[in-house]
Amino acid sequence: MSSASNSLKGFARSDGRWGLRNHVLILPLHSALCATARKIADESNGAVAVSHDWSGEADADFERIIKTISGFAANPNNFATIFITIGTPNELMIIELAKKLGLNKYEVLNVAQLGSMGKIADVGLTLANSLVKEAAAVDRVSAPWSAIALGQECGGSDALSGITANPALGVASDRLVELGSASVLGETTEILGAEHLLAARAITPEIGAQIVEAVARYERSINYEGIDMRGAQPSRGNIEGGLTTLEEKSLGAAKKAGSAQFSGVLDYADQVPKSGLYFMDTPGHDIEQLTGFAAAGINIVVFTTGRGTPTGSAIVPTIKVATNTTMALAIPDLIDLNAGTIADGLKTLDEVGGELFDLILEVANGKETRAEAGLHHEFSLSRMYNTVIR
Amino acid sequence: MRKVLVLNASDNIAVCLVDLEIGEHIEQDGLNLNIQNRIPRGHKVASRGITKGDGIIKYGERMGHATSDIKVGEHVHTHNVLGDRLSTEQVK
Repeated sequence: MSSASNSLKGFARSDGRWGLRNHVLILPLHSALCATARKIADESNGAVAVSHDWSGEADADFERIIKTISGFAANPNNFATIFITIGTPNELMIIELAKKLGLNKYEVLNVAQLGSMGKIADVGLTLANSLVKEAAAVDRVSAPWSAIALGQECGGSDALSGITANPALGVASDRLVELGSASVLGETTEILGAEHLLAARAITPEIGAQIVEAVARYERSINYEGIDMRGAQPSRGNIEGGLTTLEEKSLGAAKKAGSAQFSGVLDYADQVPKSGLYFMDTPGHDIEQLTGFAAAGINIVVFTTGRGTPTGSAIVPTIKVATNTTMALAIPDLIDLNAGTIADGLKTLDEVGGELFDLILEVANGKETRAEAGLHHEFSLSRMYNTVIR
Repeated sequence: MRKVLVLNASDNIAVCLVDLEIGEHIEQDGLNLNIQNRIPRGHKVASRGITKGDGIIKYGERMGHATSDIKVGEHVHTHNVLGDRLSTEQVK
């Protein structure tokens, strides 16, 4: 067993969840406020900000969008959130929803009330710096294993993904689930062809049927549109890497979830329960998935990649695991752990899985990931429909 | 070090761990392969003869089907394999 066992430390939140980071998030509630939010974060002593393109429109995706933004604000890795709003009712609904989802400390900067963007920037900067100082004074305390809510993600997959990095993540995920953590597999697109294997591991036949149905729903929508997915899935990069069909990619992608039983199926950005392995119905798009994970309360992510995939989250530490040694050596500032050593015959799957488990613990306890050091703060809203209100 | 990796006993392909060259001979894990094409690392080589229409089996699971006969030692990829799902092949 790992020497790091039982050494987990985090930030206790009042709703019983745990933060693995103590961020001050500047969150614009309207696309027009993104530049100001960014300016405040950049000038501050360590606050973070995200940008998005939502302007308060209440179209068919309204619920999905406010659920994502409010869940992101309520993520337990946030010590505090400073909302910047024009003050429209649709924007303010996000704050109310975030409170229901366990929003920690928060402040609201309302353009209508403060009366000038200059004032917003000045007041925002003062507030941000004082909250960052407050956050830095909070100590980590011993946390149970259920403090970890792990998100599993893969991007830029190659033919080694399913043999090296993904099954290594499966080994680490199995250990965490056994200890009482939560772990979430996403990317509905990328379990197509492997859903029968996952469904067979569901704790009830109903949950198994939900996994199959999530994929069937996706498949029906693609067939309805008459799209031949073989141009995009697998992608040209995947094909160059040796992946031939979507089913092959999925069989490899599903290895991330190890061999534990599935305790449930979650819709996009649904709040993650404290313990157990779950499947979340998310797009395959890397950033939309990562954003949905953060909105679900996931507080740490392992991202396996064959190509480096320079992306991360402003609030959720994202550990990059290389599937092959060539890429790990070529782009070292993107990679936290090289699982290519398995294919090189230098290490076993269990050895690398154990190293990854230890690394997850170190990062949970505060070790900075390459994505954090590189300030990879991508954020993307997932939409199902066209924006009808323009 | 192994040059190819067999992931499951029921597979009809093996995964190349190094770039393979035409004419290379591999005897490993009960396999006897004469490499027919240049096959890049990570790509698949037929470890058994595969007939057009047969399933391609990797990790012990079906990942698609052969669109032509494939000889032992031949590169198995998009030129001779299609997925079974999300394919518009049947509506053509």
